[in-house]
Amino acid sequence: MNPFTYSRRSFLGKTANGLGHVALSSMLLPSLTKLARGEQPNEENMAAFRTIAPKAKRVIYLFQSGGPSHVDLFDGKDVLTKLHGSNLPPSVRGDQRVTGMTAGQSNFPVVQPIAPGKPCGPSGVWISDLLPHTQKIAGDICVIRSMHTEAINHDPAITLINTGSMQLGNASAGAWVSYGLGTDNANLPAYMVLISQGTGKNPDQPIFSRLWGAGFLPSQHQGVILRAGADPVLYLDNPDGVSREQRRAQLDDLEKLNQRFADDIGDPETVARIHAYEMAFRMQASVPELTDLSNESASTFDLYGPESRKPGTYAANCLLARRLAERGVRFIQLFHRGWDQHIAITKQLPNQCRDTDQPSAALITDLKQRGLLEDTLVIWGGEFGRTVYSQGALGSPVAGRDHHGRCFSIWMAGAGVKGGTSVGETDDFCWNITQDPHHIRDLNATMLNQLGVDHNRLTFPYRGLEQKLVGVEPAKLITKALA
Amino acid sequence: MKRFLVASTALALPLGAVEPLAFNRDIRPILSKTCFTCHGPDAAAVKGELRLDLRERALKGGESGKPAIVPGKPEESMVVKHITTTDPDDIMPPPEAHMKFTAEDAARLTRWIKEGAVYEGHWAFQTPKKAPVPELADASPNPIDRFIATKLKSENLTFSPEADRPTLIRRATFDLTGLPPPVEEVKAFIEDPSPNAYDSLIDRLLASSRFGEHFAVEWLDASRYADTNGYSIDGGRNQWIWRDWVIKSFNDNQPYDQFLTEQLAGDLLPNATEQQIVATGFSRNHAITHEGGTIPEENLTNYVADRVKTTSETFMGLTMACAQCHDHKYDPLSQRDYYRFFAFFNTLGDAGLAGDRGVNAAPAINAVSCLANPAEAESVRRELEAAKQAFSAPIPEAQATWEAEQRADLVERGKGLRLTPLEVVSATAPNGNPDRIKIQPDQSITIGGGDFAAYNILTKLPVGGPTIRGIRVVFSPSDKSGGKLGFGSAKGLEGNFHLGSITTSVSTFPAGNVDLNAALPLARLSASGEQPGFEVRNVLNTDPLVGWAPPTGSTGPQHLTLTFATPIQPSATPFLTTEILFNYGQNTSPARFQIFALSGNDDGSPNPGNITDILAANPATRTPEQATQLRDYYHQISPEKAALRHQIANLTERLSMLTGKHPVLVMNTSPKPRVTHILNRGVYSSPMEAVTPGSPAVLPPLSEDPTFDKTTGSFPNRPASRLDLAKWLTRADHPLTSRVAVNRLWEHFFGRGLSASSADLGSQGQWPSHPELLDWLAVDFRETGWDRKRMIKLILTSRTYRQSSNTTPALLAKDPRNELLARGPRFRLSAEQIRDQALATSGLLVERLGGPSVKPYQPGDLWRQVSHYGSSPATSQTFVQDHGEKLHRRSLYTYWKRTLPPTNLSTFDAPNREICSIGRLPTNTPLQALVTLNDPQFVEASRALAVQLLGTPYPSDRERLAAGFLKVTSRPPVEAELATLESALKREQQRYQSDEAAARELLAIGEVPSTPVTPPIELAAWTQLASTLFNLSETLTRR
Repeated sequence: MNPFTYSRRSFLGKTANGLGHVALSSMLLPSLTKLARGEQPNEENMAAFRTIAPKAKRVIYLFQSGGPSHVDLFDGKDVLTKLHGSNLPPSVRGDQRVTGMTAGQSNFPVVQPIAPGKPCGPSGVWISDLLPHTQKIAGDICVIRSMHTEAINHDPAITLINTGSMQLGNASAGAWVSYGLGTDNANLPAYMVLISQGTGKNPDQPIFSRLWGAGFLPSQHQGVILRAGADPVLYLDNPDGVSREQRRAQLDDLEKLNQRFADDIGDPETVARIHAYEMAFRMQASVPELTDLSNESASTFDLYGPESRKPGTYAANCLLARRLAERGVRFIQLFHRGWDQHIAITKQLPNQCRDTDQPSAALITDLKQRGLLEDTLVIWGGEFGRTVYSQGALGSPVAGRDHHGRCFSIWMAGAGVKGGTSVGETDDFCWNITQDPHHIRDLNATMLNQLGVDHNRLTFPYRGLEQKLVGVEPAKLITKALA
Repeated sequence: MKRFLVASTALALPLGAVEPLAFNRDIRPILSKTCFTCHGPDAAAVKGELRLDLRERALKGGESGKPAIVPGKPEESMVVKHITTTDPDDIMPPPEAHMKFTAEDAARLTRWIKEGAVYEGHWAFQTPKKAPVPELADASPNPIDRFIATKLKSENLTFSPEADRPTLIRRATFDLTGLPPPVEEVKAFIEDPSPNAYDSLIDRLLASSRFGEHFAVEWLDASRYADTNGYSIDGGRNQWIWRDWVIKSFNDNQPYDQFLTEQLAGDLLPNATEQQIVATGFSRNHAITHEGGTIPEENLTNYVADRVKTTSETFMGLTMACAQCHDHKYDPLSQRDYYRFFAFFNTLGDAGLAGDRGVNAAPAINAVSCLANPAEAESVRRELEAAKQAFSAPIPEAQATWEAEQRADLVERGKGLRLTPLEVVSATAPNGNPDRIKIQPDQSITIGGGDFAAYNILTKLPVGGPTIRGIRVVFSPSDKSGGKLGFGSAKGLEGNFHLGSITTSVSTFPAGNVDLNAALPLARLSASGEQPGFEVRNVLNTDPLVGWAPPTGSTGPQHLTLTFATPIQPSATPFLTTEILFNYGQNTSPARFQIFALSGNDDGSPNPGNITDILAANPATRTPEQATQLRDYYHQISPEKAALRHQIANLTERLSMLTGKHPVLVMNTSPKPRVTHILNRGVYSSPMEAVTPGSPAVLPPLSEDPTFDKTTGSFPNRPASRLDLAKWLTRADHPLTSRVAVNRLWEHFFGRGLSASSADLGSQGQWPSHPELLDWLAVDFRETGWDRKRMIKLILTSRTYRQSSNTTPALLAKDPRNELLARGPRFRLSAEQIRDQALATSGLLVERLGGPSVKPYQPGDLWRQVSHYGSSPATSQTFVQDHGEKLHRRSLYTYWKRTLPPTNLSTFDAPNREICSIGRLPTNTPLQALVTLNDPQFVEASRALAVQLLGTPYPSDRERLAAGFLKVTSRPPVEAELATLESALKREQQRYQSDEAAARELLAIGEVPSTPVTPPIELAAWTQLASTLFNLSETLTRR
């Protein structure tokens, strides 16, 4: 057989026999083509970094953009009531640099959590009453209260947590996972992104395509945004006046013409292009099927809350995340804005919690009910925490909390995560970590570990370095969170 | 798969040959990859005191005292023991390093030690020398071919035959101009009997002004050019004047040494011209932040680090950025070297927080575009004059129809009007004291002062009342605003407010935010009055600075009324959210407003009051002045005049580009330059020793000037400057500059450099496939005056370049990466080329050289969904599409927002331009298919191509199809291809015959009119055929 020959039938036969090969599944770049460019085909590398028995087949990352207040949500403590109004002792504050927004304050009055909370789940981890639904799933999640980052402003912090570096130009975590593991569904991209804006603060800090970008990795690994409304994936819909049957016939023509061309000049790249056009055609069917919620039951909508019926909300995106997980998308990331409570935290934070609490908890419950939680790693968290001290005068309606990177809280669930536990402790002021500190790179290493990937071995050569998601500093797993 | 890998390794390494191993080619890559992390140039990281990058240290050995390498005696060399042992305690690299010596690598290292362990300095740090051009029988006189042929011969390969002429002209035209050759040029070239036909083709293409536009693209990637600031809020900046400079430099064939010098130090040249200062924008293209709360010193450090990274990668092919935190792991670059280099770029007077409100961060100047020329200005003036004439030409029939509609509307106006005050659930703004926004008992909202904000007002709709057709927002005077409507102090808007945009959505639940994905479309927008220049229709433009204001000085209520395209159903969606963006700068916010549900007909007019008065009066009594007034107004809003309005706006802007001065970021030297310190671990707040500007120690000294002290690397009486740096980079013995430049030129034409890692010629870079050729070209380039076009012509006239790129499985297996060049280069077209090709082939392309960036079609308002719109005065937070010729400019002029780069270009691997980017990795993805099949830009181009084909007489559809195929691919189709297209055409014709409405829908995509007018069924069918042609793999490939 002519090595450049391709037929749709033989291709479909091949896909039916087995996916999981990066070249095929992650946007169909045959290895031959890669070799022709001097790249290493990924299959060659897979064995090298997949040295761990995987617990997770996929990740759902509920990214809470803006810096959720750990003091108010997961790290509240009774002693703060006593300390309320007192000045944060300079000995605690230490040499921590603060942002230009509060650097000029003459005092730093401690503010207790804006709402009460209670010990929840088997570990008795403190969770705010602002998150009643999260309180109920405390048995399924592991709260890590000892995350830290060196960034103190949004752009560097959000870039660091999503790409492993504050410097621009690196690949996002999702792109790394797509590069490393591809997808289980050849009809959808390996990495999909959903964006929403909370009512806590609207609009909040901007987000950027670099957060789901491919950086130095080949661009097919960048996250594909799934939007609400028409054209859920950019350019997905046929032009008005062009039917699906018509497109099918057009692609058949193109296949004939392109195959002839490939044979004529000996061009594997054109064979790859035929595959790509076929996948585009299948995506045109698989994406609308994915976003069509009409078959979801009323009880499911009830679980996620009323906003889940409205495309583009955080709640609807949580429900879509489950549907993406069901369909084998490898890395699903929600970006939800609105957590930057510098001002009016007593007004803004409850709103922000109301938008996100029920859907986040519902996702866990839903995944669990469907048996998906055991092989889906769910991560909830933002780029940093917030200061225990008041930004602005104590008690003023304008007062809020500034950025705080020395400690902050996230939670994880599913796929080998020990539910009903917590990791790490902070001091009385939620300012410094006293036990089990974990840098962001530890979180990334742990995520890769659950996917069966050694974070030191998943590398890509760029500008003279074997680049890694975790960067050059050593990373350690958050072992206490793992079963 | 494996087979290919082995085969290709064997090509590079003649293991079986008698020739001794060469350190740089065969050994350094192994040591660098496997050993240098702990036994290399990074002094702080050296383990066991052993270094393997320096021969004397390797011979001396580490702390064990035993020599790591004993020349000639591998059995006594500790390094051989450590890499061959199986003892986990002794093996090197240690297991935790996750690296391994392959058996092959170990054998090679052993053999090299046996052969005497001869070290060489890293090849790219040695001054290149011209090796003698190999003598070969029957070889082409072109030195390139002789070097390539020599290696081919040693591999028992030969050149492929020359590509056929259609392929050749398409290849050269794309490579030199970024565009496909027009059919006439293809024909002329095929028929040109002259032996110099190809030479003249190359000369003609090199002389085209498209050359500079095409070559600029790679430079824009390398120099991280963009139209926004990049970090965080990513507001707009003005930098296109610099892009114009780049285009002209390529077109004028400015010698590369001058090109380099002006960009790095144009401001320091004696009697620097304005354009030489413009050139320094190169070092200001980096991302800038105006995120509140960031620390200026930290930002400034990032900016300088970015200049170092960009300069070293772009001009020197060095990854200096690695040495920001520690000595370089692989290259002999110390952290001290890094900060001395850093110091060159740390002397300008920039600020750590700047660039908000669309104002360029200082230092910035206003400069003319170097592409402006009086002839074009004259012709644009004439075009503009003609457009204005055409614009004022009456269109009595259309106007009469409109007037009749308006009079009919007047009669209906206000019928059944009922306003119901809406109950306000919440009113929020992103910033400031929330208590300044108050919901009053009467459900009006008061604002306690001006700020730049979008307000989200959540209201509850009355259920069971009359049908709700829209809303009215009533603004009332307040004591707080001195009895006026607002707090404005902007000129012309004193005591007034400015409404930039209004967006409304409904929901089943109390949604605090407007839903941008489901904004209610409007049927009508009217206002009670308007301040001249702030007409109500401006509200439809989301730009915060283009909006509506009521008459300044109003002391009574004014209102804005929205009528929705379809009435809303409170029973299904009981909540309504409205987002209103106020302000214009200087506190132009309202003091008090209230939202009402509108039932019945709006009693206001979309037209201004004076126009309504004229329309309401008997036309017979109209004075000539009134008639003129009405006509002028109608022309402003008439759809028939839209194209002319766009044309006038575009030409006016173009004229300003051609005649005025425009802002651009540049370099300068601060009167009090910052002192540069080595920063501990690269952290801005951990300064150590202060350093002066200087060049890396491993490279030639910065200067040969007698006053220069080579031991300290400094001038005793003055700090070295960027101009010294530029002179140093262009000195005759600099090992990197010319190599890097010719290697990248080679990459442009062959898809990969002679060294494949074109941004890194350091220790971790790729050993060149043809080192002698690279060096020969590097020296020749410098010796012949850094003449870029001359070098390009040398490459393009080589037999190597002119070969056919056709391939066989055998050849592909032997040389998958085409390193040996036994065939011509073949790769996918770039993002810009793919879009520009569609525009050029369909006749839509508008070729104007240079000027401000343009915003062609992009789906929806992607920017607003992720930006700071409504929270900040920064520009470029919302996407406002352009019209007219700006939809069809070459892609390099597309507005580049770094945090969301143009979607149809980034899908084809265009970088986001946040950092220096050299060489794009071409991918092949389904999302690309969706762009070329469905993007309105390509659908419109397909229609335009169809219009062209149908507008030209051909004997038959068969010939018309053949002509289309030729236009798009530059070659005539073969019979089988034609047969496929013919049956496709029949099928599409049948399809649209059965559904003419579908044909009309397809043809409505894109703003360019279909002239000459063609029957829709035929045109739609041909549009589909054109789309097929644009989606051929051949069309997307340059071969």
